[in-house]
Amino acid sequence: MFRATGRVGLARRDLVADWRRLLVGVLAIGLAMMLILLLGGLWQGVKTQASIYPDHAGAQLFVTQRGVANFAGETSTLPRSTVGIVRRAAGVNWAAAVRGQFVVFDLHAQKVAAYVVGYVPNGRGGPWQLAEGRAIRSDGEVVVDRSLADRHGLGIGELLSVGGQSFRIVGLSSGTSATMTGFVFLSHDAADRLLQAPGTTSYVLVGTKTPGATAARLVKLGLTVFTRQQLAANDRALAIGIFGAPITLMVGVAAVAGTLIVALTVYAAVTDRRREYGVIKAIGAGRLFIVGVVVRQAIVLSLAGLAVGGVMFWLTRSLLHSWRPQFLIVITTTAVLSALIAAIVMAMLAAVLPARQVANAEPASVYRGA
Amino acid sequence: MNTVPFARRNLLQDRRRAALAIGGLSVALVLVLLLGGVFSGALGQVTNYLRHLPVDVIVSQRDVKTMHMSASALPPETVNEVARVPGVAHARAIRFTTNTIGAGNRRQLSYVIGYDTRSSLGGPHRLTTGHAPRVGETVLDDVAADQLHVKVGDDVNVLGRTFRISGLSTGGTSITNTTAFIRTEDFAARRGTAVSYILVSAQPGVSGGELVRRIQATLPTTTAQTRSDMVSQEGHIVRDMSADIMRMMNVIAFVIALAVVALTLFTATNAKLREYAVVKALGARPRRLVGVVMSQAAWTIGLAFVTSIALTFGIGVVVGAVSPTVRIVVEPGAVLRLGLVTVVIGLVGALIPLRRVLHLDPNSVFRRSA
Repeated sequence: MFRATGRVGLARRDLVADWRRLLVGVLAIGLAMMLILLLGGLWQGVKTQASIYPDHAGAQLFVTQRGVANFAGETSTLPRSTVGIVRRAAGVNWAAAVRGQFVVFDLHAQKVAAYVVGYVPNGRGGPWQLAEGRAIRSDGEVVVDRSLADRHGLGIGELLSVGGQSFRIVGLSSGTSATMTGFVFLSHDAADRLLQAPGTTSYVLVGTKTPGATAARLVKLGLTVFTRQQLAANDRALAIGIFGAPITLMVGVAAVAGTLIVALTVYAAVTDRRREYGVIKAIGAGRLFIVGVVVRQAIVLSLAGLAVGGVMFWLTRSLLHSWRPQFLIVITTTAVLSALIAAIVMAMLAAVLPARQVANAEPASVYRGA
Repeated sequence: MNTVPFARRNLLQDRRRAALAIGGLSVALVLVLLLGGVFSGALGQVTNYLRHLPVDVIVSQRDVKTMHMSASALPPETVNEVARVPGVAHARAIRFTTNTIGAGNRRQLSYVIGYDTRSSLGGPHRLTTGHAPRVGETVLDDVAADQLHVKVGDDVNVLGRTFRISGLSTGGTSITNTTAFIRTEDFAARRGTAVSYILVSAQPGVSGGELVRRIQATLPTTTAQTRSDMVSQEGHIVRDMSADIMRMMNVIAFVIALAVVALTLFTATNAKLREYAVVKALGARPRRLVGVVMSQAAWTIGLAFVTSIALTFGIGVVVGAVSPTVRIVVEPGAVLRLGLVTVVIGLVGALIPLRRVLHLDPNSVFRRSA
């Protein structure tokens, strides 16, 4: 009578019987897992960076043009006098005019998208973290995001041409880049001239200790007001709308690739040992036992792939961080748990075909030559 | 003895294994094609408006060579200055910004283009229904209208005020944004009098290039480009912005593909080591064995290559139906590049099994199992 003992050993021995196959299999699964983790991390990074300005500008409220609900992507135009109206409202500690606009630079024959922020020198709304140099003091100066500057060999003291005007780089800011763009800070007046829009601004940043009550007062004045959280959520929603479908698609394809690789590795391990499975069946093992061995192989393989993928992800993330710091890769507990669940789901799906193969194996095959 | 059937039969004898191997490799290759396809699709969508403009030259603010993610502002009198340049048949301005269009709780990022409805230059390329905008009216793209759940006669919010939809155009929605057209006067009322781009047609006998030279000589504070040059510049934004992410994803996908090829050939060879030993014992030279392994590699990558193209087209059709803003375009050049890289992957992937087969002891055939 067959006794169901040593199950784990059987699955493990089958897997490690050919270490080269195991190695290549785990590597391939690891790569697929790394891709899933990387895309997930990039996706999280895109969402985090999408709202980088509202998150860091230091304002509790943002006044926009009516109909404008985003900082990134949209253009807002308000009369510059709006700042004065806001300042006079009860509950407002400070108010600052900020102009925001995407621009495309030609740097080294390459198109470089950047988000230009015009703010009043020594006022609010400028770079929140300077890595090098100083903030702007006059209209002819700019502070450039450090990762953007590094990518294009820009340094302090050099000239940057924006809209036909030259600006001297006086500082490099950090933590001011989004996935495909970096921030460039210049004076509000310079931005007005660039956009041929004197007497206007894009947003009014508001500092207040009572955001809810102050926002209500500003709305009563006929202004469109968003809290920092609302504007940040809108910016993230915009990024999700643009990048969501392609990234989800890529993650899905990477998961299918991983599943097929697990299936191929387990299938190869199982078919190479068909005769041994026949022996086990011949001495009394049930279908459930044999299917269990296969499923365990798939799970072990997936989890090993996940571990290897995790290491590769960590290495790739570090490499990317030094090569292209604008790509923020954020790893969250949810992402790790999702990858773990994905690995187990992949293993279960991958086990179907090889499990059918061994479950249907004839015990009599053991008496044949091969 | 025929070489090809032996290799092919070896590979395809176990159809499930072959399907998993070819499937795994195909999906890895799909990753490459898909990402490239998304960006190629975006490139076509982003340049759609410019490609359909019936003009020779486009004039913009100095240093501004694109529309996407860009802002161009010119004094309104520049239109007449351009019109006076010898060789100009006519010059019309458009006003342009990026904003969101809102209907109820739904919002869609959009190019907003203000054009002269009397000349219709710069307006929608093709109206599928309705008429050009009158005062307080807008023409929306049909895809955006679907997503916003609005139709001709409904109201939408554009630039912070309510506009009635007078017609629907087509081909103006991309992965990032859609396009809305309003009268240039309505645009100026909301955003000021500055114009964004001047669309210029040349008199008969004057080439676009010549006209660009004349405009640049007369108005050095502007940028003049032929329409085709501007389309090319616009395409560069998508290409340059996506270059890093494309490079990164391609490398990962290719390494996955390489691992799958190696795994497939390794397991296929391993499973038939005894047969290889027989062939060797019968006197086959190393060249013959190399030929068999390489044929297997060729079959694997060939079938996977064709499958990946078919899969990508299939995914493109499904994605187009589910998410109409995402367009996947597989360029012949991308297919060719993928083919070349796949061949390299096949050659590298065949190295391990090749080594194993070449070092195989022919005497192993006389043992119980190889």
